[in-house]
Amino acid sequence: MSTTPVIATEGVGKRFGGFRALSDVTVAFYSGRLTSIIGPNGAGKSTFFNVLSGAFPPSEGRVLFEGRDITGTPQHVFPHLGIAKSFQITNLFPQLTALENVRLAAQAMKSRFDIWTKRETLSELKEKAEDLLDRVGLSKRRNDLAANLAHGEQRSLEIAVALASDPKVLLLDEPTAGMSPEEARAMMDLILKLNEQCSVILVEHRMKLVMGISDRIIVLHHGQLLAEGTPDEIRNHDEVRRVYLGQSV
Amino acid sequence: MTLDLFLLQLFTGLALGSIYVLVALGLSLIFGLLTIVNFAHGQFFMLGAYVGAFTLGFTGNFWLSLIVVPIVVGGIGMLCERFLVRPLYGRGIDYPLLLTYGLGLILLELVRIIAGTQGVPFNTPRLLAGAVDLHFFFFPKYRLFLIFATAVILLALWILLEKTSYGLIIRAGARDQEIVQVLGVDIGRVWLIVFGIGVAIAGIAGVLAAPIRGVFPEMGVPVLVEAFVVTVVGGMGSLLGAVIAGLLVGVTFSFTSFFYPEMATLSMFVLMALVLVFRPRGLFGRAGVLG
Amino acid sequence: MATDSTAVGAIRNRGPLEGVRPAFDLIARQRVLFTILFLVVLPWLAPYKALAVNILIFGLFAMGFNLVYGYAGMLSFGHAALFGLGAYGCGVPIAKFGFPWYVALPLGVLIATTAGVVIGWFATRSRGIYFAMVTLALSQVVYYVVYQSIWLTGGEDGLRGVSVPSISLFGIAEFNLLDPTTKYYLILIIIILALWIFSRILASPFGAILEGLRENEKRAAACGYDVNRTRWFAFVLSSVFSGLAGALYAIHLSVVPIETLHYFTSAVVLMMTLLGGMGTFFGPFVGALVYLLLQDVVSVITVHWQLVVGCLFVLLILFFPRGIWGSLMHWLRI
Repeated sequence: MSTTPVIATEGVGKRFGGFRALSDVTVAFYSGRLTSIIGPNGAGKSTFFNVLSGAFPPSEGRVLFEGRDITGTPQHVFPHLGIAKSFQITNLFPQLTALENVRLAAQAMKSRFDIWTKRETLSELKEKAEDLLDRVGLSKRRNDLAANLAHGEQRSLEIAVALASDPKVLLLDEPTAGMSPEEARAMMDLILKLNEQCSVILVEHRMKLVMGISDRIIVLHHGQLLAEGTPDEIRNHDEVRRVYLGQSV
Repeated sequence: MTLDLFLLQLFTGLALGSIYVLVALGLSLIFGLLTIVNFAHGQFFMLGAYVGAFTLGFTGNFWLSLIVVPIVVGGIGMLCERFLVRPLYGRGIDYPLLLTYGLGLILLELVRIIAGTQGVPFNTPRLLAGAVDLHFFFFPKYRLFLIFATAVILLALWILLEKTSYGLIIRAGARDQEIVQVLGVDIGRVWLIVFGIGVAIAGIAGVLAAPIRGVFPEMGVPVLVEAFVVTVVGGMGSLLGAVIAGLLVGVTFSFTSFFYPEMATLSMFVLMALVLVFRPRGLFGRAGVLG
Repeated sequence: MATDSTAVGAIRNRGPLEGVRPAFDLIARQRVLFTILFLVVLPWLAPYKALAVNILIFGLFAMGFNLVYGYAGMLSFGHAALFGLGAYGCGVPIAKFGFPWYVALPLGVLIATTAGVVIGWFATRSRGIYFAMVTLALSQVVYYVVYQSIWLTGGEDGLRGVSVPSISLFGIAEFNLLDPTTKYYLILIIIILALWIFSRILASPFGAILEGLRENEKRAAACGYDVNRTRWFAFVLSSVFSGLAGALYAIHLSVVPIETLHYFTSAVVLMMTLLGGMGTFFGPFVGALVYLLLQDVVSVITVHWQLVVGCLFVLLILFFPRGIWGSLMHWLRI
């Protein structure tokens, strides 16, 4: 197994004005794994996710991708590196069809300033989009506007859009947010399948969902790294139990 | 450059900057709370000058006009906000901007129709005419008064915002409108008053500038651009930014017109360009406010 | 704006306009063709030919502006600089240096585009509201510089002597530009070319990116698109069209009034785009037509045209933000 982590953070901290959201978080994510980031509300999961996915740079520390320092790299460069993300609150192109959403995402890898070719001639993009929609189970909805999809379908579309860049790492922020238990389980199955192709890092606040599927779990609390290990290790971790037992998960 | 000359240019710049500060302040205040760029702001400046001129003409009392102007201009502003701008909230950031632009055109043309295209006279009040000996140089009394008046207005505004409960609501509303509404405050009333205050300040700037700039319908047109430059330099929504940037632009203009007169007007744009290159959000702007 | 069948799946509104839906559907899909058809017959519909030429020119100007505002979602208050520099950039070589039209015209476009690169770069460093302010400020700089350069541009009096009485193509055909009809159709050829290019841009991958950017900028960035650079590019493209319009304007009028650079001109093109319908292909020409016709009619009645414009602005924004063509398209669910 390669010893260079695919993504790693060193001493990452984040301040928003006077408020400290993260301090000194040092973790490594290895290739091929499915890692979940959990923690109670306000633990800093979303902030950490945003640092990992390039939404904003950390106030302190570094972020490394395959050993290279990518701290402060602008958001739009991330997919080109191989890191794709989905958002916690569904963030799609609402008035474009599901197919166009994915096609446009795929196009970013191929052509960004071409003003002359007719779009239709880039048929490989359309095929790829069809294929991705199929993988997430949205083929039937390909011509529907993203805004008209059901919530669960939109979450699946988010994933298809993220996959369009052929990422090495897929970052998912609460992919099951707002879903019913059946939908959530289906989503988790999908994510497991995707893990066969790329590393997955996901943020979840429902601990039960991730226990069964994760290779590793990271627990954040008050912006700091509380624990890190396999699901079993985490389940039996004293600190983690203390932090969670006071809360209804 | 001798010390005397330096100080003279500096003070001239401060006097000039005072006008910029007042106009930019109103603009930033309105933007900070209502998220509207008031493209009619220059015309409210112009209105202030005209209302002041007419009050002066009727009563012969300059000080009275200083009181009447903010009331009248603020009142007009509140009417406009209530009936023209308010319906557009939530429709997207461009719509109020465009509406205020149209409003500005209407105001300008109405003034042309009502008061004629040639402008009206506005003489420096006798009490403030002449120059005063400031040891290093002689300085026009009126310009000194300008600086002083601006400082007073700034102080009044600061007291309102920092020391009164009303100011607290305004500042809170600028940060998070929903919370303020949940707490039972009629946010519509707050918007109304803030818009009124914002344009009232522009109006005062207009009447204060009148003895120097004259009073004519197009006087507000360059003012809008100047206000924008100051706001970009200072940072949109930042009141401290408006003050610092306004004075900075004024002083820059003053020194440039001494050394290199043809470039004077362009100097503020160069300043703006520099800010855009090195600190696009403005000197005191909040990162991520707009981009 | 639909170029595929997404509208077909939508629920149709069985309203009074239902009967003409197929016609409008066809127009929306063959937009370039219909625009050309309309413009070909325009001289015979317009009260006088010079107005028709103005409609062509301002339609092109508005089309360029529409790329930035309607399609890319950036409100620019500085397009007068692009239009005006196109006009002066073409006019000065002809009037002061005796350049032939076929050199001056591209030169005008080049100068306008260069301004677009510079202004666009500064402006796209700041988004949203700042953008409008910065474009306004920078175009005022252009106005001021040109105004002061009396020796070159004529300053306040404008540039005179941009006379192109006739055009000879390859020494074969000679076209008399003093004849309004000839002038119209010659300019129309250039406009048609521009329309075709514009249509290609919209149908290109870049056009798709502009759509996405307008919908959701954050998402576009997360997909890998450099938002700033894309916007800058859109602005530069826009300046090509607006600059070309300016260059044609100089030739059309034989003078270049200083007002072309004034920020009221920026407001006029904005007004035309709003009137017609932003983000629609046909909109800018509809808007130019309505605005110029209105101006023609109103100017006979009163000298206070700006007041009318102001009221029109306010009414449009409050009640018809989609504009004429845009509202039609919307009501017909196209």
